[in-house]
Amino acid sequence: MTTIQTTGLTKRFGKDVTAVKNLDLQIEDGEIFGFLGPNGAGKSTTINLLLDFIRPTDGSAEVFGLDITEHSEQIRERTGVLPEGYAVYDHLTGREHVEWAIETKGVDDDPDRVLEEVGLAEAARRTAGGYSKGMSQRLALAIALVGDPDLLILDEPSSGLDPNGIQHMRELLRERAADGTTIFFSSHILGEVEAVSDRVGIMNGGELVAVDTLEGLREGVGGLATVELECASIPDSLTPKSMDGVVNSTVKDRRLRIECDSPREKADVIEYVNSHTDVRDVVSTGTSLEELFNTYTDGGRGGPTERDSAGSGGSQ
Amino acid sequence: MKALTVAKKDFKDTRRTKTTWITGFLLLFLGSMMAYVFDGDMYLIGVRQFEQAFLDIVQIMAILIPIVAIVATYLAIAGERERGSIAFLLSLPNTRRHVFIGKLVSRSLTVGLSVLLTFLVAAAILGARKDLLPFGVSDFPTGYVLGTTALVVVYALTFVAVSLALSAAVATRSRAIAGAIGTYFALIVFYVFPLASVTDIVRWFHHDLLGMSANQDLYQFVEYTSPLIALRKGLNLVVPSRLESHPFKSERVGHETLRMAGTEQRQALLEGVDLPMYLQDEFALVVFAFWLGVPLAVGYWRFEQAELR
Repeated sequence: MTTIQTTGLTKRFGKDVTAVKNLDLQIEDGEIFGFLGPNGAGKSTTINLLLDFIRPTDGSAEVFGLDITEHSEQIRERTGVLPEGYAVYDHLTGREHVEWAIETKGVDDDPDRVLEEVGLAEAARRTAGGYSKGMSQRLALAIALVGDPDLLILDEPSSGLDPNGIQHMRELLRERAADGTTIFFSSHILGEVEAVSDRVGIMNGGELVAVDTLEGLREGVGGLATVELECASIPDSLTPKSMDGVVNSTVKDRRLRIECDSPREKADVIEYVNSHTDVRDVVSTGTSLEELFNTYTDGGRGGPTERDSAGSGGSQ
Repeated sequence: MKALTVAKKDFKDTRRTKTTWITGFLLLFLGSMMAYVFDGDMYLIGVRQFEQAFLDIVQIMAILIPIVAIVATYLAIAGERERGSIAFLLSLPNTRRHVFIGKLVSRSLTVGLSVLLTFLVAAAILGARKDLLPFGVSDFPTGYVLGTTALVVVYALTFVAVSLALSAAVATRSRAIAGAIGTYFALIVFYVFPLASVTDIVRWFHHDLLGMSANQDLYQFVEYTSPLIALRKGLNLVVPSRLESHPFKSERVGHETLRMAGTEQRQALLEGVDLPMYLQDEFALVVFAFWLGVPLAVGYWRFEQAELR
């Protein structure tokens, strides 16, 4: 079953700004979907459309099979939201926020348990005006979790959290997803998406430029498993390009940078280079998600890339 | 039910806001001070003196109450929009109608209670000074005090309604402030400002510019559209007849003529004036109903259409 389905969803602000362009997106029940893209790519606009904060210029969307503008209240009965750019109520305590959310949702959660779940139990009785950014974020997450919703919509959930908090939140999301909750979250941080998502959608300039599993995205782009080696010398005889699975190799100073089409090839590549010369250091390795991201979004640097898969997300 | 949940939470939040207490106390303080100082006409005695002094307090407070009502309301929705807390309100299963009604209930309660408390305390102080208290010992004019106070509460709520409507229609704090100041000027100051009141402007436009013959009914009707004038006229419905004021009739008879006339003659002169239905005292309720209803409808409609981001 499909939890979120958007069809040609478009949002223009004024005449010139198209924040979301012809978005077709389908998110299945129980999946963790990471909505990735640089700031201003249209992620929050999409979320605000789903929540009926703003109305589509064109196209439509359904959540739980209900139209987002017609049945917003019913949708939100079953949804937990961590909104963008929210502010807490300075004069209410953390616990009062959660009590209010429980009352509004008409459920009988224990506010203390919810607060404990997000690690805010100790500050529960303080007014939220004195909360740090991270504590406010935990509170917002607590409000989202009230009533064990079928869908969690989280806009930049890790912003303001320290590494511990981020780790804790990821675990929380995984637990919820394991219980069957669908999670739709946006982020401009790649590591976060990689750590928890089943599937990723990449937004850029209001368009969905790619949707796939991370594996699929890597394969689709190819050559993004890179390994950079510092060598004593680089003999001419060294021609890793001839190796299977190597897409490209470049030399800069004494650094050899090799792009493979899958991470599996990296060990072989290092071994091969080491047999020809003395590898002093493996400077960096990894399927550079960074590059994957840049490939799809142009990354704001290095100019446009002409990959087939980029820009196929439907334009005007 | 959900609107009530919104109202409950908003009332709790408002109750803990300093501004609410400062304006509330200021109103209470001024009301109490006047009750402590005002004596009413020295030729009157007992209850009559009380009634007149109390009406004086009401007339003066009528200028200040809108400020309290506006201050308590103008950020109700616009403030949440600018700060971003409205994202919580509306990502929980509340509709905009719930939010709008909840805010209206909460702020009306805040302002209503503040006005009620002020006038009851003022009545108590004044009553004690005039030896009308405790109850039962003497003839404290309970009905008069409650009737007058109720009308003032309705008057205060018209400003809550107008302010809330404006607050729902704008997206930022600065516009809400402009709206709040504008409301006070448009509904109070422009009506009582000498020589350049709304009535003067309409008269000038209608008579001097368009060259039409002067139409007293029209000008007085325009004047009547202010909640302040409506309160003055509406009070005639609850005060004893000797305290009634007849601004429209007086203007028609001529202030000079009235001053020269004796009490009985004055009475006869005023009774001789026939006012159209829409200038009579009862029409004050229509004016209140208009200010309670129409701005709310427009504000709600705007809020329902608004893009919140």
